Amino acid sequence: MAFKIDSRVGVTTAYRWRNILSNYIFLAPVVALNLIVIVIPSLTSIYISMNKWSGLNQPEFVGLANFERLINDPIYWKSLSHNVIWTIFFLTIPVFMGLMGAFLLSGIKRFQMVYRVAFFIPYVIASVVNTELWRTLLHPRHGIGAWLAKQGIEGFDIRVFGSKHTALYGVAFVDSWHFWGFLVIVYLAAMYQVQPDLYEVAILEGASRFQRFRHVTVPGIRPTLVFTLLMIMIWSVPAFDYIYLLTDGGPAHASEVLGTYLYNMSFFRFEVGYAAAIGVTMALITACIVAIFVILRRRGWEI
Amino acid sequence: MKRLSLVLLALIVIVPAVGAQGDVVTVTWWMEPSGSDDHVQELIIDVFNASHDNIKIDYQPQESINDQLRPALQAGVGPDIVWLAGNAAASQYVAGGFLLPLTGYADAYGWADKLLPWAYGAGIVAGELYSIPVTYESMVLFYNKTVFEENGWEVPTTADELWSLAQQTADMGLVPFPYGNATWQPSNEHLMGIYLNNYAGPDNVYAALTGEKAWTDSEFAEATDLLREHIADLGWFGGSLEDYYSLGGSDNTAMLASGEGTMMMSGTWMFRGLGPAFEETGMEWDWAPLPLFSEDADMQVGPYSYDLALGGNLGVNAATEHPEEVGVVLDFLLSDKARILELASTTGFGEWVIPLRYEIEDFPPGTDERVLRFHSDFAATTGAGRYGYTAWTFWPARANQQLWEAIELVWAGEMSVEEYLENHAAEWAQDAADGLVLSILPRE
Repeated sequence: MAFKIDSRVGVTTAYRWRNILSNYIFLAPVVALNLIVIVIPSLTSIYISMNKWSGLNQPEFVGLANFERLINDPIYWKSLSHNVIWTIFFLTIPVFMGLMGAFLLSGIKRFQMVYRVAFFIPYVIASVVNTELWRTLLHPRHGIGAWLAKQGIEGFDIRVFGSKHTALYGVAFVDSWHFWGFLVIVYLAAMYQVQPDLYEVAILEGASRFQRFRHVTVPGIRPTLVFTLLMIMIWSVPAFDYIYLLTDGGPAHASEVLGTYLYNMSFFRFEVGYAAAIGVTMALITACIVAIFVILRRRGWEI
Repeated sequence: MKRLSLVLLALIVIVPAVGAQGDVVTVTWWMEPSGSDDHVQELIIDVFNASHDNIKIDYQPQESINDQLRPALQAGVGPDIVWLAGNAAASQYVAGGFLLPLTGYADAYGWADKLLPWAYGAGIVAGELYSIPVTYESMVLFYNKTVFEENGWEVPTTADELWSLAQQTADMGLVPFPYGNATWQPSNEHLMGIYLNNYAGPDNVYAALTGEKAWTDSEFAEATDLLREHIADLGWFGGSLEDYYSLGGSDNTAMLASGEGTMMMSGTWMFRGLGPAFEETGMEWDWAPLPLFSEDADMQVGPYSYDLALGGNLGVNAATEHPEEVGVVLDFLLSDKARILELASTTGFGEWVIPLRYEIEDFPPGTDERVLRFHSDFAATTGAGRYGYTAWTFWPARANQQLWEAIELVWAGEMSVEEYLENHAAEWAQDAADGLVLSILPRE
């Protein structure tokens, strides 16, 4: 009997090892792929960031000179500050709209799918199309503002992308317009996972709709909510396409972010080493964001 | 046995002959899409392929070619013929050893005698020819002729007349110079180049380009400040600085064609877009040379001059396996003025005007008189030594980018003209230290 038990344990252990091994074998292609497309380029970027290199000539090792230059580069810091503003913008406005949209949609049955599709469509349209659409709508001479001005309604004919005061926020608005529908769908899916009993109890207790949202919905979707916040913070670091297409970082660097600054350094100025240094700092910022979330999670935060 | 020997003999003779006939070399050519690619295919590529049994051109317009070319050449998989975004880009590729010297072809085929001297010279890096130009351009003053005639205005021939008319049109609620950089931020360099050349004078610009004069000198500071005043304080370009940043190429043309704008300082690539825009409005356009902006005798080179400009270059991948065939292709481009002008005519002579030594008779019948007038006057004026320098043709990459990008800080009031020019001089010094300052033919 004892032999049988030992034997069974032995079989189980062997099975477990085989199982673990097969897992690693199946993971191997993905690991290999990531090594090729992420790890090796990342390590190469770190090396390039310590070189003066046009991307074409022979690299010249300069140590940390590119990073020293970054410290004294006002446009770099300006760009970084715009990334921070961009992140705050996306952590608030689209998230609030996404939550509200999902909560309101969760309460209706008829035509819900129509609304979901309508909200989601901008997300699947190419950024080039979205930006051209909004460039036309906000055009200073034949956009909505100009049309309203012709009707005698003043105050809306502003040069959203042409003013250094509004360019960054204008681009962020267009990008969030395409993005918030995605959040609606994500939050709506999460809301359907919240136990209906909780809502019933809340209703019996006399909770208002806002109270149900505040005390049942939000805690119920907290993991999803926090995950989207994390992703927004990570995605905000390499923000590029909408800014590049609408303002290219201008006017006067008013909408410059790290991504556009890096691109211009690399492709207009042929300063690939310096661009790589900017890229390394972007990777470090992303790593810090992830690290903060990991630490919070280890401290027991339900995220 | 005899029969077998005959068969073998026939195979020995015939097979290599068949093989030789089938030994076709394909020359690949990457080009920036220009909207004329169907015409290039029809008038250049198809004609070449039909007339050459052993060489075929595979013409490939590439979107975002600047982003694609560098990794392709580094990976050794690039095309044989490459389009380059100007001389500054070409010099970077030369520094990396990615371009084949073309001096041998030039000598063998006599390209120096086919191309305009300044355009040929612009492709020389460290004594070797590395690229040939695709098109040549200059900066002129376009204007709405209908609006001018309705108001009884004369075409300005001096700076005073130009600024006076600009103010007059602004006072009338019109836009003096419809222009904006919303679709191409480097458009700033069009204006910076005009003001540097037309205010400081081409001689001074040449002296600065060749390191004999400082970019921080007063002539350049005054020129930069004059543009700042016109664009930021007076809002002459686009209607206001914010409009300038909001308007793109088609907006500029539409404003001029509608009469909402009156004049436009721009390049002769506009020949392409003005015709269709003015056809829509039923108005007429014309152009005139830009007057010099300063009356200081030291800066004068004559009543006016033309800035020299090239729109893109063609180079040869150093790793090409078909250098001889590539030479044949490039020489085909440079050898038939009529064919090139026919191609250029499909763009309204806004693109593909390879700077060959044209006579006015070379232009096809029916060519717009305004286009003929430009090419005729450009040849006479530049031939007399009255020419300036555009930034995208004669500036090295970093200094060029600083020129058009940092100027927005000056216009925004966030940087002084002095600091801007000091930074420009520093960028120039860095380019010089890296050996990237472009060679320029001595002024005649």
